[in-house]
Amino acid sequence: MSAVTTRPGLDVDDPWSAIEACYARGWTDGLPVVPPTEALVDAMVAAGSWPPDHVLLHEPVRDRVVTAEKAAINSVMAGCRPEYFPVVGAALQAIGDPSFMLHGPATSTGGSALMVIVNGPIADRLAFNSKANLFGPGTRANATIGRVLRLVLLNCLDCRPGVLDKSTQGWPGKYSLCFAEDEAQSPWEPLHVSRGLPRGSSAVTVYAAESGHNVLSHGTSDPERLLTCFADAMSALGSLSPGRSAIVFAPEHAMHLKRAGWSRRQTAEWLYAHTWRSLADLKRGGKVEPAFYENPSLVDWLYGDHPGGAPVPLPTSAEIGRIAHDDESVRVHRGLGPDDILLAVGGGEAGGHSAFFPSWSRGRSVPFVTKEVS
Amino acid sequence: MVRILDPTLRVETTTAVSPRAPRPRALTGATLGLLANGKSNGMALLDRIALHLQTHHGVAEIVRAAKTNASAPVEDEDAEFLAKRCAAVVTAVGD
Repeated sequence: MSAVTTRPGLDVDDPWSAIEACYARGWTDGLPVVPPTEALVDAMVAAGSWPPDHVLLHEPVRDRVVTAEKAAINSVMAGCRPEYFPVVGAALQAIGDPSFMLHGPATSTGGSALMVIVNGPIADRLAFNSKANLFGPGTRANATIGRVLRLVLLNCLDCRPGVLDKSTQGWPGKYSLCFAEDEAQSPWEPLHVSRGLPRGSSAVTVYAAESGHNVLSHGTSDPERLLTCFADAMSALGSLSPGRSAIVFAPEHAMHLKRAGWSRRQTAEWLYAHTWRSLADLKRGGKVEPAFYENPSLVDWLYGDHPGGAPVPLPTSAEIGRIAHDDESVRVHRGLGPDDILLAVGGGEAGGHSAFFPSWSRGRSVPFVTKEVS
Repeated sequence: MVRILDPTLRVETTTAVSPRAPRPRALTGATLGLLANGKSNGMALLDRIALHLQTHHGVAEIVRAAKTNASAPVEDEDAEFLAKRCAAVVTAVGD
């Protein structure tokens, strides 16, 4: 019997040919997808609070609109259960927030992943993993909700590798990077509460993340010694920028901060203050570009700590790499202030392994955006 | 037989569909707009292109606009300015 629907799609004989048909049309991220039958898609839409034609994401640079129905189709394909759809919708609204400027991280050579951090009661209700291997495989909510964002970028925004997605290398987080914060192990209020949402609410926080850096420390419980390892990783010339940082503290590291009574703000301020390289180092590494001197905010970034301010006149292109006498004493920090450092907690009970994720872009990056799950 | 639904926007319309402007028949004496994408060397690349078009195709005046951020859409006022002033606009990324 042939289908009676007029909704755009194709008719297939069985699930295996459906999976192959999705491959043939370029609708996958390289992994098999669940065939988005009408019944599955309708159940997905029904689990959200939006009509099928409701716009969940508008990408203004290319004027692309992702409706709840298209999001639902991609959610089915990613392997989501219907009850995940409110989280998917909130995540799409978050990356579609105008301040996030999705076009950049979606297409740039930087090759960032879209990180989604889940907070609130919905994390337990949907069985998100916030503990051992939270960034890795094995949990349906983590794996599939993060995957939807990538499928939407591929299928709805045409961010296909080498075409509109010009990632020089990309990284495996681009398949999916979604996890819950381990609020019970955190010394601090839940991340979304620290970002202004009420306790008891559920929320997602999104971030354009480059590949993570394992921060390994088993030898100290002293906060300053411990955080020295983080500041060192964060100040690596390879990723130093005026952009943001996301840190996910392993519970063991978080416990050391808790016992010492360090607040989230104190921790972020200490990290900002100790995450810097000298301007001379930046020049040695070729990190100062002529264009930086045409942008007042980047001039401020380079010379914000310099007692004399920026040189007058500013260096010419020919002088960019020349190390001036006092460049050794000019501190160039990662980011523009403590607010650029997001601190969350998650991971297994055992192990001094935390993670630092640098932001996408050698420039200012895009902000963290938090949206309540409705 | 079962139907699976198209996850792409291939059959969708976007929020606003604008007709393409007619292509200029020639650039001789024309005002050419340069719209840099916001990357660090975009305008440098466009200036070289403009020089070529002035030298070989008779472009008269050049007007310039630049996005402040490569991730953001062009500002409405810049788009209107270019549309009013120019016979053609060249845009480019230069990184």
